[in-house]
Amino acid sequence: MSGFGAILRKDLKLEMRTGDSTITLIALSMLILVVLVLAFNPAEGRTGDLAAGALWVALIFAGMLGSSRALVAERDNSCILGLLLSPIDCAQIYAAKLAAAFIFMMVAEAAAVILLMLFFNLEFGMKLALLAPPVILGALGVAAVSTLLATIASRTRAGDLLLPVLVVPIFVPALIAGVKASAAALSGATMAELLGWIRLLIAFDVLFVAAGYLLFDYVVVED
Amino acid sequence: MKNTWQTGLGLVTLAAMVAAVYMALVGAPTEAEQGAVQRIFYFHVPCAMVTFASFGLVAIAGALYLWLGSQIWDDLEYAAVEVGMVFCTLVLITGSIWAKPIWGAWWTWDSRLTTTFILWLIYGGYLLLRTFGGDTPQVARFAAVVGIIGALDVPIIVVSVRLWRTIHPAVLLTRQGEHGLQDPRMVAALLISMLAFTTLFVWFLSLRFKMLRVHSRLTGLKRDLALWQAAGEGGR
Amino acid sequence: MSQPILEVHGLAKLYGTTPVFSGVELKVGPGEGVQIIGRNGVGKSTLIKTLAGLIAPTSGQSLVFGQESRWLKSGERRVGVLAHQSMLYPNLSARENLEFYAELYSIPSPSECASQWLERVGLEAAADKRVRTFSRGMEQRLAIARAMFAEPDLLLLDEPFAALDGDGVAMVTGLIKEAIARGRAVLITAHAPMELGGLRFEMLELVRGRLAPYGEEGRHARLRSLSAG
Repeated sequence: MSGFGAILRKDLKLEMRTGDSTITLIALSMLILVVLVLAFNPAEGRTGDLAAGALWVALIFAGMLGSSRALVAERDNSCILGLLLSPIDCAQIYAAKLAAAFIFMMVAEAAAVILLMLFFNLEFGMKLALLAPPVILGALGVAAVSTLLATIASRTRAGDLLLPVLVVPIFVPALIAGVKASAAALSGATMAELLGWIRLLIAFDVLFVAAGYLLFDYVVVED
Repeated sequence: MKNTWQTGLGLVTLAAMVAAVYMALVGAPTEAEQGAVQRIFYFHVPCAMVTFASFGLVAIAGALYLWLGSQIWDDLEYAAVEVGMVFCTLVLITGSIWAKPIWGAWWTWDSRLTTTFILWLIYGGYLLLRTFGGDTPQVARFAAVVGIIGALDVPIIVVSVRLWRTIHPAVLLTRQGEHGLQDPRMVAALLISMLAFTTLFVWFLSLRFKMLRVHSRLTGLKRDLALWQAAGEGGR
Repeated sequence: MSQPILEVHGLAKLYGTTPVFSGVELKVGPGEGVQIIGRNGVGKSTLIKTLAGLIAPTSGQSLVFGQESRWLKSGERRVGVLAHQSMLYPNLSARENLEFYAELYSIPSPSECASQWLERVGLEAAADKRVRTFSRGMEQRLAIARAMFAEPDLLLLDEPFAALDGDGVAMVTGLIKEAIARGRAVLITAHAPMELGGLRFEMLELVRGRLAPYGEEGRHARLRSLSAG
């Protein structure tokens, strides 16, 4: 597992130096929230649904961008070739890129949630605590799917446009589960009520992390 | 030899489709509540069945292509997506035609229709990837991965959309007549239709597969020729 | 001759229907060296990458210790590659780059290894500067260190002397000599035959997609142009 650790640490070190990814992700997430809130301008009492929806729109886009950024780090000077030549499994490269994207996303989501608290006058407490599981699981899921598909999209013409087209339909079940769970959490539901959605998110994550782990070999090698 | 099989299959398909159409339009009795438009059910459901089956086929062919590397599996997979896309579109269109007179709207966020729409988007993404990516073994590998991922997602999509719909009783739209097929003639019509659409799918698939095989073989021959020519030139 | 480290049979690469090279046969054993001469753009880089297993050949095989280099993916990977792309992270320092790679190769003390190699390629002064600030020659030195630090059994070096000054050339020649003395196999490419301090390398030429002994093709080309004109 040393490869995974080395690559992840290297990516985090690079990120601390340039801050490219996290800053853009935070900015993107906040902008999406602002736009959606302004666009929908909810009536009192319906804020839970809007907050949840806005949060997850921001999450999906941050996820796609975050994965692309984590992979882009290997494109300068074809560093990916250096990784492929080393004794490290491709699966460890996938795990490291997934972890990096996830970490960047969590930073951005934290900023988004703080903004949400301001916009909707939410307090700390059970509501936000229950918001954490769906958001964390959702971030993991979108990172898993996006890392795999972004590797494909980056090598294809019009890849930037292709990535959302590929990611969003695949991500829909997690999106549904996540938004429902988040909206319920924000309206004061109990953990028991969220359990069904959480289970779905866990199933999604397990499936796609495993799939990415197994299939990454086939998309990362060049031709 | 392949040709006679295909012609034979074509004829069987024709016969089955004729039987299915007859049963759907004439043989089965008119449904009490929905009237004549309900007959579209006999086309809608088999198309959906075939679409789901095609996803499974795409995943299997894709996995075999990645594992064995033989171009045949890639051609089968691509053909399955293209034909599956056609049937997926038919599900959406027939669903829409059915919905309008019954519920007054061209589109309902019914769980099955929504699921089918998402599958349609997944197939659409696959086809865009193939189109933008070009005709290389690398893109074929990419497409296989997308096909496998898409197919793996199908059960989760079905479950999540179903859960999603049960939370909105105000908008819940039940499909009457789907599980309450009283008349045995209706059951017969459905079964015959399922058989007919399955053979239709297989026939379309075989046609498309054959075309892709020819294209792949041609590309392979061109490559072999280029190699042979290069060998010839250097030897001089 | 002991078991060859690199064995190539009928290697060919086509992009679409355009051949880059075909019918490549090679055998390089321990302590042996090959120089492949070729003009710019003739396909030397593609050949190096295919030999290393980074690119899939259209046909034929490239075997390292009997295993296809394409699927050589384990601790057994003993190939060091210098390519046109440096494979260096611009925002890391030279030392950090080497330490990172040393970790990937499970070198017991990465920082010591990095310091040693930075000294050998003459980069101790710039060790902690970011690669982004390096000149082309400095980057080349670091890339060579990156290719060689794990003591690989096979060295595939694409134009190792590019962008180097006199000192640099001497340094690289010394490293190659040392590798040969230690029983490694070395394959380098160049656009003109390189003097390697007395080392006797097999000289080959990549011309019109074929690998031939250096000098023959040139003679044939001249004969053909004489008879035409």
